[in-house]
Amino acid sequence: MATIAVPIGTQAEQREAEAVRRPALSEYLRWSVDHKIIGVQYGISSFLFFLVGGAMAMGIRLELLTPGLDLMVSGSAYNSLFTMHGTVMIFLFIIPMWAAFGNFVVPLQLGAKDMAFPWLNAFAFWLIPPAAIIILMGYFVTPAEAGWTAYPPLSTLFSGDGQTLWALGAHLLGISSIMGSINFIVTILNMRPEGMTLWRMPLLCWAVLATSIIAVMATPFLAGALTLLLLDRVAGTTFFDAAGGGDVLLWQNIFWFYSHPAVYIMVLPGMGVLSEVLSIHSRKPVFGYRMVGLSSMGIAFVGFTVWAHHMFTSLQPELRIPFMITTMIIAVPTGIKMFSWLGTIWGGKIRFTSAMLFALGFLSMFVIGGITGVMLAALPFDIHVHDTYFVVSHFHFVLFGGSVFAIYAALYHWFPKVTGRMMNERLGRIHFVFTYFGFLFTFFPMHIVGMLGMPRRVAVYDPAFTQWNQLIGIAAFVLGFSTFIVVYNVIHSYFRGPVAGANPWRALTLEWATTSPPPVTNFIDDPIPYEDPYGYGTEAATAYLDAVDETFRNGAPASSR
Amino acid sequence: MNNNRNRTPSVSPAAVVVAAIFLLVSVVGINWFTSFVPAVLPPQASAESKSVDELFYVLVIIGGIVFFLIQGMLLISVIFFRAKSGDPSDGPAYHGNALLEIVWTIIPAGVVVFLAVLSFNVWMQNTEPKAMVNLIDGDEVKINVSGARYAWTHSYQTGRIDPDGEQIVINSGDRLHTYIGQHIELELRTQDVIHSYWVPAMRVKQDLLPGNPATGGRPTEIRFTPVRVEGETYPAAYPIVCAELCGDGHGRMTGEVVVYEDENQFLQAFYEPAIDAILNPPADPVLRGEIVIQQYICNSCHTLDSLGWTSRTGPSLNGIADRAGERVPGQSAEEYIVQSVWNTQAFVVPGYTEQMPAFGPDQTDANAMNAEQLYAITAFLCTQGEQSDCDSENQTTAIPAAIKTAFGLEVDITFGQGDGASTDSSEAPDED
Repeated sequence: MATIAVPIGTQAEQREAEAVRRPALSEYLRWSVDHKIIGVQYGISSFLFFLVGGAMAMGIRLELLTPGLDLMVSGSAYNSLFTMHGTVMIFLFIIPMWAAFGNFVVPLQLGAKDMAFPWLNAFAFWLIPPAAIIILMGYFVTPAEAGWTAYPPLSTLFSGDGQTLWALGAHLLGISSIMGSINFIVTILNMRPEGMTLWRMPLLCWAVLATSIIAVMATPFLAGALTLLLLDRVAGTTFFDAAGGGDVLLWQNIFWFYSHPAVYIMVLPGMGVLSEVLSIHSRKPVFGYRMVGLSSMGIAFVGFTVWAHHMFTSLQPELRIPFMITTMIIAVPTGIKMFSWLGTIWGGKIRFTSAMLFALGFLSMFVIGGITGVMLAALPFDIHVHDTYFVVSHFHFVLFGGSVFAIYAALYHWFPKVTGRMMNERLGRIHFVFTYFGFLFTFFPMHIVGMLGMPRRVAVYDPAFTQWNQLIGIAAFVLGFSTFIVVYNVIHSYFRGPVAGANPWRALTLEWATTSPPPVTNFIDDPIPYEDPYGYGTEAATAYLDAVDETFRNGAPASSR
Repeated sequence: MNNNRNRTPSVSPAAVVVAAIFLLVSVVGINWFTSFVPAVLPPQASAESKSVDELFYVLVIIGGIVFFLIQGMLLISVIFFRAKSGDPSDGPAYHGNALLEIVWTIIPAGVVVFLAVLSFNVWMQNTEPKAMVNLIDGDEVKINVSGARYAWTHSYQTGRIDPDGEQIVINSGDRLHTYIGQHIELELRTQDVIHSYWVPAMRVKQDLLPGNPATGGRPTEIRFTPVRVEGETYPAAYPIVCAELCGDGHGRMTGEVVVYEDENQFLQAFYEPAIDAILNPPADPVLRGEIVIQQYICNSCHTLDSLGWTSRTGPSLNGIADRAGERVPGQSAEEYIVQSVWNTQAFVVPGYTEQMPAFGPDQTDANAMNAEQLYAITAFLCTQGEQSDCDSENQTTAIPAAIKTAFGLEVDITFGQGDGASTDSSEAPDED
């Protein structure tokens, strides 16, 4: 034992006094500069928006049960519904949800007391509620109906005030995203504890670092595009109006220069989560740690060179080939990650926790999104399926099969740290089964209807596709229902779950070397990271974990609740 | 942080057996996948569709290998590497294998290079410009497509000349007529927002981009060559779909590509009758109006039972003649209809918004409509009702009078009625 670094000092009394207190619920409704409070604020609000966006998805599927208009009064009403669905899910759910986990976990993994700029952190969060109100308000005036991509001239000359509010809200969210990302970059590069080099940093931190670099570089382009859109809408400029010398492709180029990297903003943190969860729950080091970390950077870099594959049917034909090539190249770093994860669980001792199930679910679903991604990069085939349900299917495999599965994995994994209570594993498994199969049967058939000839964003479709859409609809309702299981599980476990203790998963990263939930200052003493964040399987690691358990054995007595 | 001395995960005989079984399943599975390829794609109705589908076939095979490889490794891991209950120990401290990592970087890189080269070849082959396009009766005929919310209009700028020396333009509405082996090249223009012209059976798609009308818009092009589909009866029709969100009626912005068996059938069933109808329109303005109104995109927004129109974006035209006289005080039914077609801003039916494009004599685009066409359409709409408000006794004077009042234009009501009949060329659409 003598050679083992014990993570925390010995001021046991102080620890007991501070550590066991769970923040009162009212603290979450107030301005707070504590990254843990802010993380939960991000998390709860994003999850509420997930429910809103999910309800809209149910409306979409309800409308599509028949080939005619029935639920909706008009095509426009349907258009505004999916416009809001996309906007809410992307800007108000997935992106801020990763800010939630990033905020809560990253400073803890770095052994830091808070983010580098706590006030900026809080300010970034508090931009979200007004932005959300502005965007949702737009739904009740003359709603935006140009899709989340808001292509002019549909979004400029042919739509109402809701589109202006949409652009204003998205603008605010972009500002929030930039501020949050600057904070992450500074925190990760400057606040690592002694002994934690970049190459000893947990992979979630790598992923958040790559994500934040993308967000800081790309989001200003969104801001630029939205500014021009707003000027066209309210100030009579003609940036996107051909009659006044403007160009509609200008919007597509700037918008996708942000929005393609934004896909990685939404997926990379999930990949970071996956590295954590797969390693910890199969008790084995991450296979090829350096390549997993570097591939995040590789994806971030190549991700900036592929945007115009979203414009394969509008771009000048001779410009399409280069973007096909870059798009295919990005499959390589993504493949490295997939294989490294398989190498991680291969030969391990897999614990089938709910977090692990969702991480494995990510692997098996995301690979389909990756395969269809390469198919879509193949220009001649893309020409056929561009703007069809094939694409809808592809990006849901990436953003639901990828991001949302990773969000669930992260929820089950870190819930004990956030609340001090374990989630119900049986309910977690039921939730997984419903989500997995509901998801698969909702989105896989969409490939087929797309190839057969059904375009996306239509309320009225060829009756030949009715049965496919009914199958998709029924599966979608199962998927929608599965969400209630996790909602119940979260609420139930918050009050009734078994006490978690400091390190229920016996993980080596630093967030587990403090009480659950952590005290306001995160650690009582400066924590000492274990030399390898994923060094499972050695006696030294086992001794370290035993020492953590020993230190916190009385950290959070059940009686204190 | 390296512990490579620790044992590598051992492979049990059972795992080998499972891997072998899985390999077999994969081979059968990929075969099974590919057997579905024709079932999940529309008919191969163009030369392009064949090479695109071949590319897709390769993508499915390679994708299938990746799919089964990864799902198989996952399945094996899940079965063989699950922790025994009550076993608290860790797995081996195995940090990686440089050779493996190089392999799974190089091989996918090689695969994507292969796919990129293959896709590039298919692309070059499919987009190669053809020598003779839109060949009809020995002439290259320009075919324009106009997209407007929410209808397609195809027009053939034929090489034929009418008795006045004007070029004959066939307007075939939302249908493109072609024949097997004809190299089609369409010039696409939008009148409003971005649309996307997609013919699933031909595997071609191209966006229509708004351009400056003063400089002739921003035409884009699309090319394909229809080929014979086994077991098809000709003429065969394949859907045209709008693939880019364009607003309320996006889902019903459809059309048809009608493919004839050969040029002869094309000429006899479509081309010559269409030219004949232009040169010799029915003398009865009502019958003429019924033909003319179907050459425009009215059906994309209006309902009219007698012609089978069902759209609800604009007010219904059923019984229009019964209401036309009472819409605007002081306006006769004829005056109201004439004004509603050409000066769409003048009166908007309560409950609707002003979305109707302006039709009129001054346009060079697909909405161009001369006074004679307006006269015929008005005559036809005057018959749509039980107790028409129109002066049906004096149709030939009342409608021209209304056009004269509203727009100051004379109408040649003898248009197309044989010898010497001519249009006032200043009013005809300016086509060059």
